Amino acid sequence: MLALDLFVNGLIIGLFYALMAVGLTMIFGILKVVNFAHGEFYMVGAYTYTLVSLALGVSPWIALPVAAAGGAALGWLTERWLMRPLYTGYGSWSLMKDEYAVVVTFGLSLLLINLFDKVIGPYPMRGPALSDVTRMSIGPFMASGHKLITAGIAIVLLVGLALFIKRSLWGRQVQAVAQNRLGASIAGIDTGRASSIIFMVSGVLAALSGALLAPIINPSPDVGIFPAVKSYVIVVIGGMGSIPGSIIAALALGVLESFGAVYISYDYRDTFGLALLILVLLFRPQGLFGERAREV
Amino acid sequence: MAIPSHPAFLRNKLSQEMRLSLVVLALLALAPLVISSPYWLGVLIVSMYFAMLSTGWNLLAGYTGQFSLAPAAFAMLGGYTTGLLAWHWNVPLAIGLPMSFIVPGLIGLVLGRIVLRLSGPYLALTTLSFAEIVRLIIYNSIDFTRGDQGLNVPALMDSRIGNYYLFLVVLAAVTAGVFLLLRSRIGRFLQAIRDDEIGAASRGVDVVQAKTIAFLVSCSICGLAGGLYGTFAQLVSPELGLIAQTGIVIAMVVIGGMGTLVGPLIGAVLVYVASELLRDVGNIQMIVFAILVIVFARFFREGLWGLARQAMARRRDAAGAKGA
Repeated sequence: MLALDLFVNGLIIGLFYALMAVGLTMIFGILKVVNFAHGEFYMVGAYTYTLVSLALGVSPWIALPVAAAGGAALGWLTERWLMRPLYTGYGSWSLMKDEYAVVVTFGLSLLLINLFDKVIGPYPMRGPALSDVTRMSIGPFMASGHKLITAGIAIVLLVGLALFIKRSLWGRQVQAVAQNRLGASIAGIDTGRASSIIFMVSGVLAALSGALLAPIINPSPDVGIFPAVKSYVIVVIGGMGSIPGSIIAALALGVLESFGAVYISYDYRDTFGLALLILVLLFRPQGLFGERAREV
Repeated sequence: MAIPSHPAFLRNKLSQEMRLSLVVLALLALAPLVISSPYWLGVLIVSMYFAMLSTGWNLLAGYTGQFSLAPAAFAMLGGYTTGLLAWHWNVPLAIGLPMSFIVPGLIGLVLGRIVLRLSGPYLALTTLSFAEIVRLIIYNSIDFTRGDQGLNVPALMDSRIGNYYLFLVVLAAVTAGVFLLLRSRIGRFLQAIRDDEIGAASRGVDVVQAKTIAFLVSCSICGLAGGLYGTFAQLVSPELGLIAQTGIVIAMVVIGGMGTLVGPLIGAVLVYVASELLRDVGNIQMIVFAILVIVFARFFREGLWGLARQAMARRRDAAGAKGA
């Protein structure tokens, strides 16, 4: 049952890619900028989880919400201090939006990596697992208890996010701002709050993704770079700003890598995403599920 | 600051910056008279390597408004072009070094053709993914590239001082080349695209072609810098292409002054020399630069050179007021 094993394992990896990519694509949807510090939200989450449960000796189940709170705080601060100037005052800034956002988030990413490197040290730490069960089986499929539990949490988070965006008042406000910031503000929606919410949600998802994977990835200061690169590939493939697109692209990439690692090459498994990205850019530049940009 | 629009004003600003660049280059040429320590000469050589990368990246980001996040990756590609040619096929440097200019340029041309049709953040995303994945390929292709052991590269110059002046001559040529490109018709197209892409296209600028030229030139400059660096260090390794290296380049340009000719030169020398000094204080150089990048991007958008120019203008105004 190798194929089934590979498929399910790929889906599980894809779920974590999705947690990362969804946050990135939502930020793009609402601010039209890319957060290049997204991988560091993931890194901070992984470290918070590991350090809180190891240093304070509390159960990993308590460390998990702490990591989520850390991600939310980081997202809120980033939006408040660095992203606000993009859309309040500074009339001429909209012209230089891309420039400012790329430089400032890239600077934040460098800062966080080097700060953690200096304060905590460059060596990987081992995160605690949520469950000691090493083999659990669901039907014919076998995996470690930690992996299955985290996959379950990831599904709950993604479904919760979808409900939040579709059903809740704040979620609908966020959709409105993503569609038309000016129009939404005329209709009385607090666009600043909508942006804050999205940055916090995105920080929570990235931090939880890092925390849940901490026993597998062994956090080190540069651990966020590769997951971030994967999410960049995924949001372009899925269509910038499209949440369902990025989830489908994330699951597809997880499965592709899982099969490719066995049938093509294990060493080069991380390059399949780039190949896919270039194909998509060549033949369907708006992404698989993106709409063509409508410009005024 | 209003966006400068008058061509004559642009030309004057550019010539002024070129004159200042010549002053910086002249100071670098005289530096070995004062500095005799091989260690500090080495520091200046590496800062000239970074000055080439910064100038190349600034042409694209500062003057064209296109954010590539792969300058270090193209330097690595240039270094490996020279290195692999010499290692596997004993190609002399006389051919290998020009190839480090040509091959990364061609790779950039292909990548640019795919990505630059799209506006927005696609270039930054694709080049960052490209950079990490190329580094991974080089790291993993141990049979061909020797992986993280790195490749030995033959030296072009035997002495440190010879290397110093070699780097200086190439840096001067790169700066002059970028100056001439910016002064040309294409250079105005690039700045028009940066200021208003749709507006430029509506006035008949072939936006994709102009952006591709800028990307090609930028990648070639970075590749040549990497090739030269390989002959100086006599080693190329995947470390050359780390994202952190790109971070240093961005820090240099943002701190020195983005979208100015002389900013990257000043930024590269100051930042690299400062990083050597800060290393002794406890390896906090990258933390300091990251904070500076954020602060400069947020509050001093024209970098050190912009601050200096404002100070000069204020002094001139004060003197004028006194005279009147």
